[in-house]
Amino acid sequence: MQNTDAFVALIKENQGLIYKVTKLYTNSKEDAEDLYQDIVYQLWKSLGTFRNESKISTWIYRIALNASITHLRKEKRKGSQLAVTEELLNKEDTKDNLQEEQFETMYAYLKKLNEVEKGIIFLYLEGKSYDEIAAITGFTASNVGTRLSRIKQKISADIKK
Amino acid sequence: MELEEMKTLWAEMSAAVEKQKKITDSIIIKMTRSNYRNKINKIRVPEFIGSFLCMAGAALIVFNFRQLTTWYLAACGIVACLVLVLLSFLSVMAIRSLQRINITDNNYRESLLAYAKGRLQFVRIQKINFCLAALLMVTILPVIGELINGQDVFKKPGVWLWYAVLFPFFYWVSAWVLHKYLKIINDAETILKELGNDG
Repeated sequence: MQNTDAFVALIKENQGLIYKVTKLYTNSKEDAEDLYQDIVYQLWKSLGTFRNESKISTWIYRIALNASITHLRKEKRKGSQLAVTEELLNKEDTKDNLQEEQFETMYAYLKKLNEVEKGIIFLYLEGKSYDEIAAITGFTASNVGTRLSRIKQKISADIKK
Repeated sequence: MELEEMKTLWAEMSAAVEKQKKITDSIIIKMTRSNYRNKINKIRVPEFIGSFLCMAGAALIVFNFRQLTTWYLAACGIVACLVLVLLSFLSVMAIRSLQRINITDNNYRESLLAYAKGRLQFVRIQKINFCLAALLMVTILPVIGELINGQDVFKKPGVWLWYAVLFPFFYWVSAWVLHKYLKIINDAETILKELGNDG
């Protein structure tokens, strides 16, 4: 039996992270709900396999990103199995509409990237170092650097369009 | 918006998200359970139904094979039976090809590789399925005509009209579906190409 209380605390502590991943990898509220549940479920299922070899945050990022990839292949469903939209997909507590618009614009640019780039840019924006990104993604640190500069060019070009 | 500017904006958004923590203990616990059921519904049931229908069709032909008295009806019966068994097997294979990602142990790169390869394999299987479905369409009609109505459709003058109507329709559906798969193939190949460039 896994420690439910510890798991609940872990999810509560990282719900912002899960929210950001789901928003990046989905295009509708229903899909986002599905993915959110999937990530929580996968974390629950994998909790027993977590060994303290890496930081818990590294492990969460890894599982969340992997779950997002598996979610890409799933057919869209008409509705979520859990009707908890409001609780799950709490919107950002924005200062004003302009800020909300900026967030949406940023997400729109990020969503145009391919899946390889999405994962790397997400971790970069989360403030992870090249080594941490490398540990989570499996790319080398130098390759992460190369890819990030390519992503930077891609986003700049997209903005100038 | 430059990347650094984006990073600042991301930090602002992260702070805004943190302020809005609403999830409750009971919802988290519910999520760990309901998702398990969802997975069963999403994957096992269609897999089971598809395979069951194909196997039931094959069994129906086998048990009534003696009614297929002419060589051409028997040939249609054998081919239809083989196609149904193959379709049943392929429906399981197609789903398995999409289930190979080890979420717990894989890193992101490995998961993307498994995902892209799985997608390509899925499309390949679907293409084979379409060819088999065309073959099934040709062979099942005379078999069903004989088994259900006791009529040899090859001796009926209007039977070819059925094929004349069904084939263009089937061709159109196949072209539409294959066109739909092109995007999947392109996306998967882009990922594989991207991953092939890393050091």
